[in-house]
Amino acid sequence: MSARDAILESIRVRRLARAPMPGIYRAPRSDGDLAEVFAKKMSAQHADVRMLDSMAEVPAAIADILRGRNMAATVHVPPGSELETLALPNVEVRRGPPGPFDAAVTRAPFAIAETGTLVYPSGKGAPASWHFRPVLEIAILRAGDVVAELEDVLAKLGPLPSTLNLVSGPSRTGDIEQTMELGAHGPKALAVLVVRH
Amino acid sequence: MSPDPKAFPQAARDALKDPLLRPALGRLKTHFGAGRAAAVQRYGDFESLREAGKAIRDHAVTHLDDLLVTFEASVNARGGTVHWARDASEARRAILTILQDAGAGTVTKGKSMVTEEIALNPFLEANGIVPVETDLGEYIIQLRKEPPSHIIAPAFHLSKEQVAQTFLAAHTGLDPKRSLEERNALVQEARAILRAQFETADAGITGANFLSAADGAAVIVTNEGNGDLTRLLPKTHIVVTGIEKVVRDMTDVAVLLRLLPRSATGQPISTYVSVMAGPRGTAETDGPENFHIVLVDNGRSSLIGTEAQDVLRCIRCSACINHCPIYGAVGGHAYGATYMGPIGAALNPGVMGVAEAAHHANASTFCGRCAEVCPVMIPLPKIMRHWRAVEYSSGLAPKAITRGLGLWAFAAKRPALYRFGTRVAARLLRLMASSGMVRALPVKNGWFAVRDFPAPHGKTFQQQWKARR
Ligand code: SF4
Repeated sequence: MSARDAILESIRVRRLARAPMPGIYRAPRSDGDLAEVFAKKMSAQHADVRMLDSMAEVPAAIADILRGRNMAATVHVPPGSELETLALPNVEVRRGPPGPFDAAVTRAPFAIAETGTLVYPSGKGAPASWHFRPVLEIAILRAGDVVAELEDVLAKLGPLPSTLNLVSGPSRTGDIEQTMELGAHGPKALAVLVVRH
Repeated sequence: MSPDPKAFPQAARDALKDPLLRPALGRLKTHFGAGRAAAVQRYGDFESLREAGKAIRDHAVTHLDDLLVTFEASVNARGGTVHWARDASEARRAILTILQDAGAGTVTKGKSMVTEEIALNPFLEANGIVPVETDLGEYIIQLRKEPPSHIIAPAFHLSKEQVAQTFLAAHTGLDPKRSLEERNALVQEARAILRAQFETADAGITGANFLSAADGAAVIVTNEGNGDLTRLLPKTHIVVTGIEKVVRDMTDVAVLLRLLPRSATGQPISTYVSVMAGPRGTAETDGPENFHIVLVDNGRSSLIGTEAQDVLRCIRCSACINHCPIYGAVGGHAYGATYMGPIGAALNPGVMGVAEAAHHANASTFCGRCAEVCPVMIPLPKIMRHWRAVEYSSGLAPKAITRGLGLWAFAAKRPALYRFGTRVAARLLRLMASSGMVRALPVKNGWFAVRDFPAPHGKTFQQQWKARR
């Protein structure tokens, strides 16, 4: 008998009663504007969240974030993404994958208010590794793309992409003396530009 | 430290005398315990969430065969491959074959307790493949050639000074006079060294916190992002996990995701949650080209239909460990097994055999805190009691215990004798006490070496009961 059949058989012969179908769970929801709730929760997870009125404010915000962190005026933008049309005067734009000391700009198509989480389905122009390679990730999010909870994202998404990344703040570790340090493998800093219109 | 669960009593005694362990164990309460309590408080109705999590896991455990078959079909449909392993040796061989077919020389690893359970690393090394642990805690203990001392914080037992010494000894290419006093310096040094490993590894191995049957997806949670670099940069990604991790779909996973990080570290969500379904798509520029899932049974299915079945609901959050007074006194290494604390005590006798791991089930005060904090409501003390009964009935319990219990049973079945005996015993204990405490008894007994016993100060319970009626 194959290992597969032996394992399935071992489960079948031993099983007694089957548990009933679980009911649908409804998580408690926070009141208020979803984008505001998202911003509050994301900030609490050590991210730099900025509310912008329009896409026109994005270039200045990116330049300001880089300056604030004493970084070169260079960002990596994924080839094939809708961000390619974004004009960034005075900032050098590179298309290759970001290295461990680089900054990357990404577009988050969804975010979750409940936990302050960016949601990135992988795909054309949306390489999953870019959320982990750079030292600084600058995410652009439209306020209207914030949903209440993960269940809402799943409903909008349809079939899963090969990789779905939920990102809630910059990389961190508590592995040395249970004390949090930022920037373990992924970005040491995460900035989120929430664009209202 | 001994990898032998049968050596638990001696290893526990040694651990109690280890001064380096005290500060680490002190952090259980201040970091894990307090973090969980605050997160539960903030959530609001956490009990309903636990009920929902329990129902989902119970449904999964009692529909495991159907879910696994669905999962396999979903993985196949996405261009991945499922491998089944009855035991540790089949799992090791399946992984080795995948790696050899991929021509892999170096493999990066995300955190996986199942690969600890099947002792994968020494096996890969013996076969000429270099495994590199990338979770910071796992990396540290791999350098020190130690097993994990905690299921989510493998280097829990170490101080930052010990980590600094480890890095100075291991990273010989760096300036030996560099400062490693700050924790962040240690983190950044590991980041730089491991990034180079990610870029060059031929394959990556991760575990899975959950599997979604409907999507053929494995879900992992990390705070570091190491699991993602392990999946995304090499050509081949292998997920190694237990058969019990599968649930129906991502909606089930969404509920369990609310329970896991809160119970583990007190976070509302882990920094990264990654849903990994198959190899990269045709339009994608990164991600693995090959995707394999190794499903490991290794004794799990044998628990179905037994009194220990509920332990299969476990989502490995470590809350029971973090709240256990036994683990809090002796730490993880004393157990000599991959799973320690209450989850180890409930699981190990089932999968390793009672003869091997009975000490774990006996290492409990039955205070019940583990069951109180378990996010999926596993009755851990009840399962430990079950293993004690199995140990007793199969004649494996030590003679002193079986004889003592036999004597007690003889008296308890004879009320007059029992009443007389307890009266005499109470009086004798009072005679032997000094300032209300019995400090020793004239029998060979290690019990008094570390504790005193309060002397009975009134009449026996039965005498008082009689008087009151
Ligand atoms: S037994 Fe419960 S508390 Fe312990 S690790 Fe498993 S899920 Fe967590």
